Amino acid sequence: MSRAIQVRVSESVVRTVHVEDGVQSPLELLPVLAPERMAELLAKELEAQGFKRDGKLAKRKDPDGVEITVDLEAATVSVKLGADSRLSEQVELETRAAVEGQAQAETRLRDAAIDELEQRLAAKTEALRRGVTDKLEKKLADLRGELDASIGRATVAALTERAEQLGKIEEIASDEAGNVTIKVKL
Amino acid sequence: MSDDDDEYELPATVAASEAEIISMARALTAPQALDVWGLLAGSRAMPAKIGPTCAELVGDALDQLWPALWRRDGARPGTSIRAGKVVRGRGWERNTIAPLEFSPFTLALLRWLVEMPLATPGAVDKLSTRPMTIGDQVVAYLALDVATETPAQFTIARSSQVAHAPLAWLGFAHLLPGDPPEDPKAWDALVTGTGAVVVDALQQDLAKRWRTVELGKRALSDPDELVKLGRGQDLTLTRFMDACTRAGRRDLAGFVLDAMLPLLARDVAPFPNDLDRTKPLSVRMAARNAAGALLRGMAKWCEWDRAHRGVRFLDDDYEASQLLLMRFEKSARHGADILVPAWLAQLASLAPPSGSGSATIEVSKEPP
Repeated sequence: MSRAIQVRVSESVVRTVHVEDGVQSPLELLPVLAPERMAELLAKELEAQGFKRDGKLAKRKDPDGVEITVDLEAATVSVKLGADSRLSEQVELETRAAVEGQAQAETRLRDAAIDELEQRLAAKTEALRRGVTDKLEKKLADLRGELDASIGRATVAALTERAEQLGKIEEIASDEAGNVTIKVKL
Repeated sequence: MSDDDDEYELPATVAASEAEIISMARALTAPQALDVWGLLAGSRAMPAKIGPTCAELVGDALDQLWPALWRRDGARPGTSIRAGKVVRGRGWERNTIAPLEFSPFTLALLRWLVEMPLATPGAVDKLSTRPMTIGDQVVAYLALDVATETPAQFTIARSSQVAHAPLAWLGFAHLLPGDPPEDPKAWDALVTGTGAVVVDALQQDLAKRWRTVELGKRALSDPDELVKLGRGQDLTLTRFMDACTRAGRRDLAGFVLDAMLPLLARDVAPFPNDLDRTKPLSVRMAARNAAGALLRGMAKWCEWDRAHRGVRFLDDDYEASQLLLMRFEKSARHGADILVPAWLAQLASLAPPSGSGSATIEVSKEPP
């Protein structure tokens, strides 16, 4: 007659995970001047907003970890946010088995424990990723406004430069709605 | 026995399985007259070969494909471009009609449609034969069409090799697996010869299909589904419109204008406002971009329109350009030049505005 025994298996895991989310979008830069000059004017505006110029790229990393990269040549902006986390989980499972089947029961239990650990880590990683996505999403509306303003100023600078090429600027007037009027004497 | 008895012709007799193949062939052109769902959902063991009587009757049914195409708006007086000149009249008046040719695929597909229980995708064997001719492509298109709004449509799209037919992509890019055929020659076959006549006859049919899918995008919530749909549509339109340019048949891409016109008129943009917010932003952004496939087709028309305006009276393709300018005029009146780039920019925007373009539209209405 076989004896029934209780088999208990404990598994734990500690894992460092990295999650990231990001988007890329084109910048609507009007071709008032040659593309290279437009890129220069935009770069100047972006530098005033804390961006660092790195060749054809302008980059900024905000205190909240959001990384913004403007490709001046391709006229695109990439925004991304990443997060690292050290996740730890522990699972303890037990079952009853005949003493002759102890090894098999232990193997089955260990496999189940590992599966359970993986599922829990996946759920935690997904929760972390969603946190990153939420944070990034909230940031984007403000960032869009900031970039639109920079592009607007770069466009005005380009128009001014273009006006100077055409003749003598007599007056530059702007209103609250952002409309700019440049009077040029040809 | 009298002479009258000798002249009496016995009705054609075919096996029950053959009768279903014949019914399936007839259903392609007259689905309302037959129990299509019964044919598609049921299954039947098929003999290795069909008899000559069955072959003849299937041939008779396939002879009805041209009239069936004309009934899909091909009979309406219209205009086409042939050798750079504008031709007016009904479909059969402005085109040279040649009999459709079929490869073994057509019969294999008809047999497969009858043989497999298409209502239960798990129990369906894949068809191995591929469509080779324009006739095959028309049969593939109509097979997908008769199964509309049934689960069988999805099974046909996935398991019957119809995805090798560019015409099937033109009508059902939202259903087919993988990517559309890459070979430019496959697309050229749709804009030259008999293929061009078929596409010409299907213009309104294609426009309705694309518009319906476009409206459906607004309610899609799974970004991955939208990305897949957009990729299929983008590749289909790009490859087809490039073929139209190569063949000097941009008029065949007129369904893009017809599909978009009511949407432009009512300011209904394909913004997917209900995308699953638990999915990563990168995936949702890709989905939003993918939603603009038909808009990119429209943007290409805007680009063409600018080129057509530059064609002078003395140039060879002046007449064709004038026709295409007229074709685009309605879209231009509804602000295509402004709305299309603006909608595309909104789809690609860092922080898209929510709730825009929430008007509803009758799918079945003709374009204004």
